Amino acid sequence: MEAEGIPTVTLGRADFVGVFKNAVAGIGLAPAAAMVTFPMPIFLPGSDIAPVQARKQEFYDGLMRWKLDSGAAASERGHMIALDADSYESALTRFNQLAISNLWGDGLPLWLPTRERVDWILRGAPAPESTVLGKMPPRGAVVTVESCAVALAMAGGRPEYLPVLLAAVEAFLDPAMGTDQLQAASGSAFPVVIVNGPIRKQIRLNTGFGCLGPDPQHPAGASIGRALRLMQQNLGGALPGTGAMANYGGMRYTNAVFGEDEEGLPSGWPPHASERHGFSPGTNSISLAFASGAANIRRRSARKETAEEDALQGMYRMADFLRAPNLHCIPGYVDGTPGVLMIPNIVAQRMAELGWTQRSIREFLWEHSKIPMELLKRSGSVSWIEVDSDPVTRASLALDPWPIAAKADNLILVVAGGGHPTNSFWLQGYSPSVAGRRIALPADYDKLLAEADRDLGCGSDACTIG
Amino acid sequence: MRFEFHDPTGTLEVTQSHAARIDTLAGKRIGFLTNEQWQAHRMLPLLKSLIENDFPGAEVLPIDRFPQGNAEIPTESTTALVKAAEVDAVIVGNAS
Repeated sequence: MEAEGIPTVTLGRADFVGVFKNAVAGIGLAPAAAMVTFPMPIFLPGSDIAPVQARKQEFYDGLMRWKLDSGAAASERGHMIALDADSYESALTRFNQLAISNLWGDGLPLWLPTRERVDWILRGAPAPESTVLGKMPPRGAVVTVESCAVALAMAGGRPEYLPVLLAAVEAFLDPAMGTDQLQAASGSAFPVVIVNGPIRKQIRLNTGFGCLGPDPQHPAGASIGRALRLMQQNLGGALPGTGAMANYGGMRYTNAVFGEDEEGLPSGWPPHASERHGFSPGTNSISLAFASGAANIRRRSARKETAEEDALQGMYRMADFLRAPNLHCIPGYVDGTPGVLMIPNIVAQRMAELGWTQRSIREFLWEHSKIPMELLKRSGSVSWIEVDSDPVTRASLALDPWPIAAKADNLILVVAGGGHPTNSFWLQGYSPSVAGRRIALPADYDKLLAEADRDLGCGSDACTIG
Repeated sequence: MRFEFHDPTGTLEVTQSHAARIDTLAGKRIGFLTNEQWQAHRMLPLLKSLIENDFPGAEVLPIDRFPQGNAEIPTESTTALVKAAEVDAVIVGNAS
């Protein structure tokens, strides 16, 4: 409204000021606004709202007298920052101290984004460094190829990772993803980036054992995801408790960046990027969704079950797990996803041998994860569906039992993780959409891959040196 | 030795100005934009009565005059409705 010339005052929570300033900056206003704030208790049911009356003059002043501080009115330009030190070691130490005091980092050691290191990363850029990808919400700092390279440099990345990060950032900034709200929301959304195509192996991205965690054999996912997180914070203002009100912030050190185990797909099963986004198999691409939780599901049977019984029991156990009145699935009810289900290649192979397809697995899980309306009412979930902005979601209340997504195809099923049959993994969705992007490569990408092999050695599935 | 590094916070562009404030609320029309959460249904009607008592001729529109909800507040269609209603000022609540 301010941008439309209508003076506005906002009533909000005291520790919401950072979120609000971010939102204001994100629409191109100076990062300040008239606010009247109160501590959390007044916003709870049955509260004493007398303080609103006691401070009524502040609301009036917000509309009649509020002024922008002159120092907040100007644009802030990214620039080079000078640091005096007697050695690189001292400079690195000092930079990490500055990263804490200036709130640039995640609390773990960072690399110094010198011009030299950032220029090295930029060798992986398929477009000029000044290319603008958008603005990182909610704060709205300009996202360029260079700012992606700065974050990747800080996160310990390498140039051959940059194309994947750029594609992920493009998807992240897709307006359909609702990133402007998820960045600030209390539900602890984190991006899940699924990579398809030969680039997975070329850059040492994990598709197998431990693919969501640390792995020195496959370091790419951690650096790419950490760089995205640094951008979310440094450019987007998603600082815990100030600009990002995520209660818990799980999975946020590195987000979740992994490759689909395409080599482990059963015959006839297309890769995720083809199923969801229509990319031809073999296309380097990413698929980005948001999740708000991560949990292991023990799916294997324990005794003398037949193959058919083992498969079916595992399917029921996974469906049972999905059948929670999980309100985070509501934003993605129509076009997004209720979550990402990861199954290991050995399970996919056995399921396929028994006649299961990706579609039949999704349909089974969708059908058997429906929630009786009685349970939705008992847990108060109905009111969250009633207030959703999408009429299709609201209309779903007529269904009993209630499906956790508008259609089975919304569920993301990927083959990934170690080749062991006991477990599958559920990334609980909080994702208004699922965005796919092709990965563009620079002309001399093969040279970068050869340099990576030289620097890192030939891993089990990464070496490209002939 | 001098080391230089990139500012990790990037570039922030200020492209729009805040609205000028109004000199009084008396005789003015004021609208609410609300997410209908966090006790807005109690606090905003209180503000409506306070303003209408303190400023002669002030008209504070009902809290449901414009679309409600977090997803509705920032939309262009809501902005168009607010402008069409010719309000002089807006109160947004409850950000929490």
